[in-house]
Amino acid sequence: MNVFNMLIPMTIEGLRITIGVFLATLVISIPLSIIVAKLRMSKNKIIAKITGIYIYIMRGTPLLLQLMFIFFGFHYIPLIGFAFGRYQAIIIAFVLNYTAYLAEIFRGGIGSIDIGQFEACQVLSLSKRFTFMKVILPQVVKNVMPSIGNEVITLVKDTSLVYILGVADILKAAKSVSNTYSTFIPYIFVGIVYLLITAILTKLLDNFESKFSYYR
Amino acid sequence: MKIFNKRSFKLLLLMTIIASLLSGCSSEVGTSSGQSPECVEKDTYIVGLDDTFAPMGFRDDNGNLVGFDIDLANEVAKRWGITFKFQPIDWSMKETELNTGNIDFIWNGYTITEERKEKVNFSEPYLEYSQLLVTLANSEFNSIEDMAGKVVSTQGESSAVDAAYAQPGLVESFKNGELVEFPTYNEVFNDLEAGRSDIVIADEVLARYYMKNKGEEKYKILEENLGLEEFGVGVRKEDPELLERLNNTLKDIKEDGTYDEIYSKWFSAN
Repeated sequence: MNVFNMLIPMTIEGLRITIGVFLATLVISIPLSIIVAKLRMSKNKIIAKITGIYIYIMRGTPLLLQLMFIFFGFHYIPLIGFAFGRYQAIIIAFVLNYTAYLAEIFRGGIGSIDIGQFEACQVLSLSKRFTFMKVILPQVVKNVMPSIGNEVITLVKDTSLVYILGVADILKAAKSVSNTYSTFIPYIFVGIVYLLITAILTKLLDNFESKFSYYR
Repeated sequence: MKIFNKRSFKLLLLMTIIASLLSGCSSEVGTSSGQSPECVEKDTYIVGLDDTFAPMGFRDDNGNLVGFDIDLANEVAKRWGITFKFQPIDWSMKETELNTGNIDFIWNGYTITEERKEKVNFSEPYLEYSQLLVTLANSEFNSIEDMAGKVVSTQGESSAVDAAYAQPGLVESFKNGELVEFPTYNEVFNDLEAGRSDIVIADEVLARYYMKNKGEEKYKILEENLGLEEFGVGVRKEDPELLERLNNTLKDIKEDGTYDEIYSKWFSAN
C-alpha cells in the first residue's frame, strides 16, 4: 500500500529524533538529578532554596512552554546575543525539565533511608562519599526504580513535543503522511510504534528491578 | 557537601563535555540572523514552511518536500545562483521563527492579511484564491445564511479564521457563537465526514486537494464564498533589500511563462 511506502521511511527518520531525544535526556538528567537532589537537601539554606526555585519553575510550567522559551525567548533577552540551535534547545529544555522531576524522586529515595545507616557508617568511620556512593545510593536506586520507570515512559511520549520547533519525530511523520493521503491510518501506526517502544522499556525496567531485588 | 569532591567534579565535567558535543553537532540551523543589512546576498537562505500543507509544500511518497511553493522557491533560488534550505516549522510559530532569525522567508501558502502586515513584509502576491464553504453532498445548506446555528469548523491560525471574523456577526451566528478550530484541514474534513461539523470554511487550494483525495462526489461547494485572498512570501521587516530582490525575480518568473508551467503542474485549469 502506498501509504506505508511513505510512512515507514519517514517513521524511521522520526524514530532517530524520538530515540535520540529520549536517550540524551536520560543519560544526562539521571546523574544530574542525583546531584540536584543532594543540593536540594543541602544544609546550606541558600543552595537548598535556589534548587527549590529551579524545581518549582520546571515543574510549574509546561514543557512545551519551556521549549518555546529556550528556543525563541532567549532572542528577546537583551545582552545575551546568541540563540540556541533547534536540537540544542530541545536537549536543554528536556534535561532541565526531567532533572527537576527525577531529582524529587531521588530526594524522596534518599530521605527514605534510615538515619541509623548514616550513623552506622559514621561509627565505622567510612568517608561521606563512600557512605553515599556504596551504601546509600544502591538502596535508593532500588527504591526509586518504579517511580523512575514512570518518568522514563512519560519521557518517550513527551518527545512528541519537539514538533513546536519544527523537528520531525514519529508523530510528526504520521501527521505529514496523514495530510498527504488524507487518511487516519498513520496515527494508528505510530500508536503501535509507541506501544512497542514502551513494551521494550517496560521489559528492560523489569529486568533492572529484578536485578536489584536480591533480598527477595 | 563533602560529597562534591573530585569525583563528582569529574562527573560534572564529563557531562559538560557530553552536552557540548551534543550542541556542537547540531548547530547547523538557527544561526541565520539576517538582522544586518550587509548580508543581503548570502549564499543560502532558509525557507520556513509547514511541510504538511498540500499542495503548497508537503512530503511526497518518498518523504521529499514537494509542492507549488517549493517549485517556485527553487526557481527563485536557481535564478539567484544559490540553493535554498527548507526548514519545517510549526505553523503557529511562523512569525516568531522569522523575527528571531531562524528562517528568512515564510513561504508556504502564507495569506496576506492586514494583521500579518504589521509583523512581516509581504512580497507581491503570487497566487489568488477564495475561501470556500464546503459541506456534505447530501446536506441542505446552500448559502451563508444557512450557517446560522450550525457547527462550522476550519483550521486554526489560518486565514480562513480571519475571513470568517471579517464578516460582521457571522461567527456569532454559529452554534454556541464560536468557530471550531482544528490543527489541520485533515481533522476538519474528518469532522465534517463524522457529522459533527455541518459546514467547513477552507482555502480553495487546500479544499480542492482534500476533496480530490477523499472523493469529490462526497462534498458540495456552496456558490457563495467568503471572498478573494492572496498568497505572498513573508520577509523580515529588517530585510527590505531582500524583499525587493525577491519581488523582481518573482516578476521575471511570471513574465517569461515559467510561473504558468509551475502552476499547471499543481492546479487544474479552473
